[in-house]
Amino acid sequence: MGSMSKMGAVWRSAGSSVAGRLFLDRQAEFWMGEVDPVRSLRELRARVLEVIEETRDTKTFLLRPNGAWRGHRAGQYTSVEAEIDGVRMRRCYSISSAPSEALVSITVKHVADGRVSTWLHENLRAGHVLGLGAPAGEFVLPSPTPDKLLLLSGGSGITPVMSMLRDLAVRDAIENVVFVHHARSHADVIFGEELAELAARHAGLRLVLCLDDDASSPRGFDEVYFAKLVPDFAERSTFLCGPKPLMDRAERLFESVGASDRLALERFTPALRLLPTLSFLDGVQVRLGRSERNVVAKGQGSLLEQLERAGERPAHGCRIGICHTCKCRKQSGTVQNLVTGEVSSEPDQEIQLCISIPRSDLELDL
Amino acid sequence: MNTQSKHLTREEADAFGRELDALRQETVADLGERDVAHIREVIRTANRSEAAGRALLHFGLGPVSFVLGTSALGLSKILENMEIGHNIMHGQYDWTRDPALDSQRYEWDNVCTGDDWRHSHNYEHHTFTNILGKDRDIGYGFLRVAPEQEWKPIHLTQPIIATFLALFFQWGVGGHDLRIDEFFSGKQTPAELAKRSRPFLTKAAWQLFKDYAFFPALALGNAPRVFLGNLLANGTRNLWTFAVIFCGHFPEGVQVYEQAETENESRGQWYVRQLNGSANIEGNRLLHVLTGHLSHQIEHHLFPDIPAARYPEMAPRVREICARYGQSYNTGSFRRQLRSVIGRIVRLSLPGPKAEAKSMSSAPEEAAAANFAAAGRAAA
Repeated sequence: MGSMSKMGAVWRSAGSSVAGRLFLDRQAEFWMGEVDPVRSLRELRARVLEVIEETRDTKTFLLRPNGAWRGHRAGQYTSVEAEIDGVRMRRCYSISSAPSEALVSITVKHVADGRVSTWLHENLRAGHVLGLGAPAGEFVLPSPTPDKLLLLSGGSGITPVMSMLRDLAVRDAIENVVFVHHARSHADVIFGEELAELAARHAGLRLVLCLDDDASSPRGFDEVYFAKLVPDFAERSTFLCGPKPLMDRAERLFESVGASDRLALERFTPALRLLPTLSFLDGVQVRLGRSERNVVAKGQGSLLEQLERAGERPAHGCRIGICHTCKCRKQSGTVQNLVTGEVSSEPDQEIQLCISIPRSDLELDL
Repeated sequence: MNTQSKHLTREEADAFGRELDALRQETVADLGERDVAHIREVIRTANRSEAAGRALLHFGLGPVSFVLGTSALGLSKILENMEIGHNIMHGQYDWTRDPALDSQRYEWDNVCTGDDWRHSHNYEHHTFTNILGKDRDIGYGFLRVAPEQEWKPIHLTQPIIATFLALFFQWGVGGHDLRIDEFFSGKQTPAELAKRSRPFLTKAAWQLFKDYAFFPALALGNAPRVFLGNLLANGTRNLWTFAVIFCGHFPEGVQVYEQAETENESRGQWYVRQLNGSANIEGNRLLHVLTGHLSHQIEHHLFPDIPAARYPEMAPRVREICARYGQSYNTGSFRRQLRSVIGRIVRLSLPGPKAEAKSMSSAPEEAAAANFAAAGRAAA
């Protein structure tokens, strides 16, 4: 094991040199992939061992990651990379398994117009290989575990809090946990059976399901009903994840009783501020991640010209979109390609600065 | 075939450019799995060919395995430099977001560093194609390949110099971005040259070590055989790439431009210059792949970042557009283009001929008509 990590360190230092790029990035990587597609010197990949149908629109993928996986904390997410018609696309999904489990699982709800979730549901089978990202996110169970916990979720937002509950169960630490989950119907409750089993086995777990088709309770999240269900919610360390209306209302409720500091939440879709077509001339905020600077890009011309006016000196060449020297990774935000008119609003897309104009605030890997 | 292109007004050039842009859009929208499958297949073939070649050289005995091993190794180097390295470094596969196909990270099996290449080739040569004084690829600064270049006595030696360049082509390519000529003319200080040379020397040292020390040493008793095999494989690749690249820009009929006439050039005019500054080689699919599709130099210069394997299917459309705008489309067999290049290098080693005063506008109608007729025949 020690010699393996030493070898890894030698490889990493060689990796930046010409020889490393030639021999390791190209040839060693190629032959490792030929032997077994899940193996890689550079990339985090995983093999799918099993696909489990959870509900009519949700599947769990049980994954065995390669040696680059360093484990996760309960509540974190990973990015999943799928190659769809030749293009690699990434999406973030919460990890639903507990950190101590040998296999990693992600649970994915099929979104009707979502390219990646559709592809995962329709094409991904046992034996296939997927790209993964390093686990990330601050939505995690604190250590030591708080005395009184509330896990509050809706729909597929159950995945990160399920990881927390499973973690507590494995550590036999379910002392005083209330789990309130919202779903359309009984059949739509992801992990329904396992939740019922855990509740039967652990006296410290109180499970409440709020179902839309249940006539005796209100539809969706209801403040009054919720306060009756969990009268001491303001005293509980609360972990919230679910659809936006649920999260917004729950957040306001916690604010109104002064319990915001006990509420942790995970939003699946970051609020994107797309500007109206013309007002981008007034300027957008650009976060340059690598140099840790914030600048305002404004005025006429391409994003490259705007950045230059803001005092930045990004690498560039032809300035007409042919040489790809100014290519950089856009971590978030929307830009439009001046040549093709194509709009890029997905996270982690490569863009060419010299033929892009910003359409929203941006985060760039510069 | 060598009819002059009709001179286009800015408006005509822009209309011409819009048609090429539309073709470009159409191709980009269609990129997908088959393009990725193609380049991965070529990468697989190159890697397997290298492994087979090295195995035959290392463990084989006798001349048959030597010839086979050297050929397989040479083939892998040609595929890697041309269809894989050159094209990936152009950003033709950046849309896939596969790090193995990333233009800015790729490093090829050649003494030229990827970074130098990306600067001197992708940026300078492809942006300023065939502009005298700006495109340093016109004769690489020491060969006279166009009559517009001023003749100097040193050009008398150029048939011999070109032969040496062909044999050691990767070193010419590798040293190109060091701008040694600027050092001699005083435009570059020794310190600048030293700084610029360091990545090249590191890369060259690694390449020499790999092919002429590491692999021969690994072969123990077979070391001389491996050494010689590597030398011949590198030499074969050099000759081949030299021939392909010289046929792309230096055959008869290719135009060069003065800086003044390209100032404030529009996107359409840039397209016109790319077309008239390049020449194609006709052949089958194998030839196209072995040249990295630089046999479609015209399409490559119009669309440098579109996967090169798409050029053969774009070519008839490009040709049809050119015909409608009275633009000559320079193409011919490998033998014809190579003979034309060699003839030119020999002829231009002597002074003259006087550069014609841009005969582009001479009898444009006849030229266009002839070209249109030729395209019609080709289509039929």
